[in-house]
Amino acid sequence: MSEQRPIIEVEDFGIVRGGASVLEKLSFRLCGGETLVVLGDAASGKDALLGVLGGYGGRGDEPSGTIRYGDGAALPAVKRAKPPIRIVYLCAASDQPLNPHASVASQLSRIVARRHGGPRASASEELRLALERLPGAPTLGELGRRPGEVDATALSWALLAAALAQAPDLLIADHAFADLTPRAIKTVVAALAAEQKRTGFALLYAARGLKTAAQLNSRVIVLRQGKVIEEGPFAKLAGGQSHAYTRTLFKAMPGTQDMKPPRNATRGEPLLQVQALDLIGDGRSARTRDGISFELRRGASLALIGEEGSGRRALVRALLGLDHIAGGRVVLDQVDMSILSAPMTSRLRRRIAFITGADDALDPRMTIWDTVDEPLRAHLRLPRDMVAGHRESALKRVGLASHDGRQAVAALSPYDRRRLQVARAIVSAPFLAVIDEPLRGLDAFAQSILIELLDDFRRQEGPAFLVITADVGIARALAEDAMFFKDGRVAERGPLREILKNPKDAETKALIAAVIPAGP
Amino acid sequence: MTAATATPWRANGPSLHAMLQIAGWVGLGLIAVAVSLSDFLASAPANATAIGPLLAAPSADFRFGTDVLGRDMLSETLHGLSRTVRGALPATVVTLFAGALFGFVAARLPRGLALGLRGLIGIAASLPALFLALLAIGLTSRDWVSVAAGLSAAPFAFVRAFDRARQQERTTHSEYARATGISGATLMRRDLVYEFSDTLLSSAARALAAVTIILSTLSFLGFGAVPPHRDLGLMIAAAKSYFLHAWWTAAFPALALTLLILFARLAAGLDEGERA
Repeated sequence: MSEQRPIIEVEDFGIVRGGASVLEKLSFRLCGGETLVVLGDAASGKDALLGVLGGYGGRGDEPSGTIRYGDGAALPAVKRAKPPIRIVYLCAASDQPLNPHASVASQLSRIVARRHGGPRASASEELRLALERLPGAPTLGELGRRPGEVDATALSWALLAAALAQAPDLLIADHAFADLTPRAIKTVVAALAAEQKRTGFALLYAARGLKTAAQLNSRVIVLRQGKVIEEGPFAKLAGGQSHAYTRTLFKAMPGTQDMKPPRNATRGEPLLQVQALDLIGDGRSARTRDGISFELRRGASLALIGEEGSGRRALVRALLGLDHIAGGRVVLDQVDMSILSAPMTSRLRRRIAFITGADDALDPRMTIWDTVDEPLRAHLRLPRDMVAGHRESALKRVGLASHDGRQAVAALSPYDRRRLQVARAIVSAPFLAVIDEPLRGLDAFAQSILIELLDDFRRQEGPAFLVITADVGIARALAEDAMFFKDGRVAERGPLREILKNPKDAETKALIAAVIPAGP
Repeated sequence: MTAATATPWRANGPSLHAMLQIAGWVGLGLIAVAVSLSDFLASAPANATAIGPLLAAPSADFRFGTDVLGRDMLSETLHGLSRTVRGALPATVVTLFAGALFGFVAARLPRGLALGLRGLIGIAASLPALFLALLAIGLTSRDWVSVAAGLSAAPFAFVRAFDRARQQERTTHSEYARATGISGATLMRRDLVYEFSDTLLSSAARALAAVTIILSTLSFLGFGAVPPHRDLGLMIAAAKSYFLHAWWTAAFPALALTLLILFARLAAGLDEGERA
């Protein structure tokens, strides 16, 4: 199969929606075996582009320009036109594309069967073979469970296998791997590249963040508000010789930030002391087998790094009192948490802030103002005008002051929700901020801004940071010390700068290699 | 061209469900207007006999016909509707406070007490509401029929509100709030501000439908409205003997009752009503 056979050529492509232009003058050509990454935020127009190419454009979308499929003639771009090539759409597992009540294997087999127009049995066999060709993917038997019983990485593998089993000419991947850990992304992208080399399909990948784009390491088109800002190889754009907007996007990329020097605060008095902590697994978190001991000093920052199920989240849930502690001691602000009554524990927890990548971390019914006011009203009983003053100041710092404060959290974008969490944390004046995968699901621009906000929060309010992540890049941006978790035990610990220079444990090496390319 | 693994979701404007809900509120609004202007719209005062011939069929003079005592059925239906609505409104308030509001608050009580209350009131909710209403009237008097109807619909409203509040307590955002020291009282305030007040109108409409059925049934059975003050249930009961040959004596009060319950159910979003 020739790798140079043309698959799709888009010329002067534009989309008008409701009279407003959402995409202008986009041109690109993709041949077999080639990959193109379209990088941009939610308003960049990339979703509209994917909609038209994938045949599910919005009702009001009016495309213009021409599209040439394969060796055919250039045709006017229209919605829902049947192309002469096989286009397959691949979405992220977090988009929940499957019915939660039927098994993953049966649903994906049905999709493959429908595409090939063949019987389910042969489609199931195609799917099995596709899974076998992807090293690291689950087996077909393991996918005989419902989507809720399969973890996100396995589900991503399954969706990819189903897409490849349809023998695509063009694979449109819509943030398909964005929510995976860096290590999982590296493995999935390597497998995808091998399949692409073998079968010669073209890949159009829409990316919000840079993790997958960095692994694909291909041609990138940067879109902003429907316009092409820049186009070029990923390495060139990441190299810094690029447009100011592109440089902002790449600031969030792991490995590009300068390591901060260790703070003096690490020599302050102890804030959190964990002694021989033993946890009982709840089925969702890994069981920590060895007692865990560590100390976090005031103003210091410690990253708990590991893959899903490695035990780091179980540890934090225990520290926050969300899960039962089987043994050991947690001393917070010189007070042993185990001897406190529930009301006293609750009083102590008021100085803990929580910032997480989970979109349901804030009450979706509450308004923006109420979300920020709540800690002030509940804990400090401040007068109304003082509450409003603190709220306005916090919202201004995170860039939400211009939003209508009576807007419900449910109506906010994930980026705005994340900033609102920071505003809520700011007014709480915490001595400890627990930060759990803060950049999950955000686009590169939002990631870059959020890291700056968190950095500013730490500089001004001075809380200690406990960062939970699978991404060494995030840990590098937010923490000075790190504990690497593996299978419920601490694999390695120490100053992050030192560990990055000289990792000892194989698991640590793998986690670092997934995000930070090896030096020359 | 296919979107092989998923097609992104798109909004399609207001749903049929929302439109039906609006239609329900418009209908209830029209009924409210008819009730408040009933004395003006009715051509005869309530219970005025010998206005026309006995059991006259609907005609240009008597659009809804007349009953066995020569009462104008249009006027009587308007007065009966007014009486039914005026009885149902306080009953609805009782259901909202003794049921929904109490349910939200009880869910935040200490676990043992909350679950104990849930169990006891859950048993009451499993009994027929009419039986509870009859029991309440038996323990008090027929003067308390509205309160009895409201209390009999309250257990089901309590259970709904309680279960919703408990569900909220298990959400991720509640868990994180507790982890950062937000008290149960503050979380209850959230429920009251956002859940109870936001669903107040639909809860009220649902309760209105339920208590209307209970009140009308009580009157039909002779435990509700006391003659000469007649509500729609009592009017239908009075037409029992001759509605086979004078259908209009029962049909128009029944139609008014059906419309009131239908609009209330539509306004509640066709949600399952409190048990009536």
